[in-house]
Amino acid sequence: MKKEQAAPVPFRDFRRIRRPETGVGPSPAGATRHLVDWTVGKLLFCAALVAIAAVFFIIVFLLRDGYQIVLETGLWNFLTGAEWNPAGQHPAYGVLPLITGTLLVMALAMAIAVPLSIGSAVFIAEIAGSGTRTIIKPAIELLAGIPSVVYGFFGLILLTDWIRIAFDQPSGSSWLAGSILLAIMAIPTITSVAEDAISSVPREFREGSLALGATHWQTIKNIIVPGALSGISAAIILGMGRAIGETMAVLMVTGNAAVIPDPITNVFSPVRTLTGTLGIEMGEVAFGSTHYHALFGVAVVLLFITLVVNSTARIIVSRMQGTARSGPHRALTAAASRIPHAASAPFGRVVSPRTSQRCAFLLISLSVAIVLAALGVILAEIVVNGAGAISWEFLTGSPSDLGREGGIFPAIAGTLYLVGGALAIALPLGIATAVYLIEYTAETPLTRSIRAAVDLLNGTPSIVFGLFGFAFLVLFLGFGVSLIAGQITLGLMILPTIIRTTEEALRSIPGSFREGSYALGATKWQTISRVVLPPALPGILTGAILSIGRAAGETAPIMFTAAVFSSRFLPSSLTEPVMALPYHLFVLTTSIPGATPQSYGTAFVLLLLVLSIYLAAILVRRRYNHAKVM
Amino acid sequence: MTGKNLSGDVIAVAVAGTLVVLLMIAGCLGNEGGAATSPSQQITVTGSTTVLPIAERAKEAFEAKDASAAIMVSGGGSSVGIKAVGEGTADIGMASRDLKPEETAGYPDIVRHEIASDAILLIVNQENIVESLTLDKVRGIYNGTYTAWDQVGGPDQPIVVIGRDSASGTREFFSEYVLKKEDFVKTQEEFNSNGGIQQKVSRTPGAIGYVGLGYTDAVKPLALDVNGTIIEPTLENVSSGLYPISRPLFMLTSGEPEGLVQQYLEFIMSDEGQEIVASLDYIPVWR
Repeated sequence: MKKEQAAPVPFRDFRRIRRPETGVGPSPAGATRHLVDWTVGKLLFCAALVAIAAVFFIIVFLLRDGYQIVLETGLWNFLTGAEWNPAGQHPAYGVLPLITGTLLVMALAMAIAVPLSIGSAVFIAEIAGSGTRTIIKPAIELLAGIPSVVYGFFGLILLTDWIRIAFDQPSGSSWLAGSILLAIMAIPTITSVAEDAISSVPREFREGSLALGATHWQTIKNIIVPGALSGISAAIILGMGRAIGETMAVLMVTGNAAVIPDPITNVFSPVRTLTGTLGIEMGEVAFGSTHYHALFGVAVVLLFITLVVNSTARIIVSRMQGTARSGPHRALTAAASRIPHAASAPFGRVVSPRTSQRCAFLLISLSVAIVLAALGVILAEIVVNGAGAISWEFLTGSPSDLGREGGIFPAIAGTLYLVGGALAIALPLGIATAVYLIEYTAETPLTRSIRAAVDLLNGTPSIVFGLFGFAFLVLFLGFGVSLIAGQITLGLMILPTIIRTTEEALRSIPGSFREGSYALGATKWQTISRVVLPPALPGILTGAILSIGRAAGETAPIMFTAAVFSSRFLPSSLTEPVMALPYHLFVLTTSIPGATPQSYGTAFVLLLLVLSIYLAAILVRRRYNHAKVM
Repeated sequence: MTGKNLSGDVIAVAVAGTLVVLLMIAGCLGNEGGAATSPSQQITVTGSTTVLPIAERAKEAFEAKDASAAIMVSGGGSSVGIKAVGEGTADIGMASRDLKPEETAGYPDIVRHEIASDAILLIVNQENIVESLTLDKVRGIYNGTYTAWDQVGGPDQPIVVIGRDSASGTREFFSEYVLKKEDFVKTQEEFNSNGGIQQKVSRTPGAIGYVGLGYTDAVKPLALDVNGTIIEPTLENVSSGLYPISRPLFMLTSGEPEGLVQQYLEFIMSDEGQEIVASLDYIPVWR
């Protein structure tokens, strides 16, 4: 999950020199090695094409079911119609209120999350002592591990109520509630990526600035944050992507009234998002009806918006990288010229640098405190109420009486099956794609389109994966609601994360390792398998573990493809459906009255499962960070 | 040297990972073997979440009698149920609404079995002093004519209108029966489940919502004022037809049922099955 500019350039050029050389050495051993090299290259290439194929199929299948709505209402009416009322006497399918709702919720969420996240990132990277850092950093990352249905559960029970009372509103389900929840969900993503960017600003900048007499705050404000700006903007974009695509949490707290707030700044108005519309209406809509096509139309609009946001992000980041890369020297001199400015404390200054530092640090610490308080409240609510429901029978039994009695063992096992299968699909494909992209090709139009496809997959909302899995795997390929359909859907969903983290890990291996290996006469495949991949493994492992956490906690992709509410037996084949923890929690909280203790218990187990996976990731990273020699 | 050490680690991690996975699988398989003999016959039931509780309880009782039968129940919505049984991906579909013309045309083989009916109750917050409403007042609230409780005999407080999503069978029935197909007020907040509405109403003083008979925990069900007679929403009043808002629930099969599907449906229609229906706050078909 790091930004892309970390690529060391040297081995790029080297690759071109290498290629003719592989052909040398006509000895039989050399020929087989050459053949292996060639075969592996082709295999990796095929794996890399899977990402493109996935994007292609997703788009084709959404359009296949979605284009009829445009024929029926006209493109312009569909996009700008101010009324979404599919069940009315005169059905209206205008998505304008939904688009507005999506954008408003996202904008306010970003307005809340960005200052808090950047504050937290600066705190972790610059202000906290190493002891504090080792506690706070993982704590904030744990926020990312809380499944979205758990957030929704929390929002429904506590947050909307708090808003209603605190602001004296008739109803707490509102734009504001959605934005607060999304902000909490986006904070860990933005914080950890921004923190990486801030930490990677070279030490010399910092030392130079301090040596010239600037205060710590002046150094942060004028040298470090500007230096990390491209990474920080990438972080914000990633957070936005998460916010646009979120389904389950949002639909539980925004009220889902398809209105444009009046006036437009009324944060207490209920709103409805594109994802929320899919989440609440998809299950009940009649297949093949105009309403059904309209929902696929909504999915296309949603995909298009995420595409626009992501490409804007890419353009911004690459432009910034362009200027930053053109000369690290220039940046350094620019920074250096700023330092005396900052340090000399001009006469007109009202506040002394020391006071302004104190104020700034206070605000920064406050933002960390707010984030940690949010984490604390959510965890406490679930742990306090959930721990009581846990018993040996709850963990090992099968549910009875609609989940009010008995246990959740089939759901725990089902979640492990789903995640295991998703990983078995995504891990080989993802690593192969990343190796192909980093080690086998220079920038060509093909690699660019593979990367674009990966980015698009990464930005695709999980509910869209769910719809695709349903339309393609369940119905078109005839898998039915089954384990395999869920595994493939989840596998596609985590594929981009694995590709990204693997790419990042491979990039961090210095070119000199490869050069050394080639110089000793190793072939390309030998170099990759024995020299490049082993030290990259911790990075790859972290990525894999993080995607396990994501897959285990997702509801939207499995609710139309794999999950059943109850099953006494564990699945004995891939074509059978399974129970799964997040779906079980969703049904318990929304459809089964009188199952509150079991809801809390399930939320607690799900949280424990996902958080322990995240904890494993953090431990792996820490262990290898210590061991790292480079 | 570094490379060597790390590749040692790689092997260690890989071995450890494989072991964990194997253990998990072994544990699962072991448990499965111990819990029950593998099913001799297996059917899947999917569809409406309103009908799901009946299917689930009936399944538990049925499986207690026939240890070799495996019945898998899942939700997803009426349309999922109709589609699944029509396409043959499930053996029984559940629906809380009748088939639409598109669906009857697409799947002419579907056979409907009415297994119960469901009353739709109006619920308000427990703090609300309003006890009953006429159907006209309810319509006025849902179409936006009345926006404050004092217009319908309650306190001076804005009405928060809560309803189901536009694809819901419950909403469709409510819209036809109560609203006479008029449009819902635009600011209506929408939830996709009975439980969601109940939660929301129980926490919002000015709220009104509509749910099935089973969802009255922590909220106050309203009586209906029919021509001056106050009718409480009790099981008796609904069963006798006095309480006017109720609708049939269906299980669907492709063609006439056979084998385990037939046994299961017969069980639901038996006295024992209909006892289960009544115990879950639905109305048995025998009336």
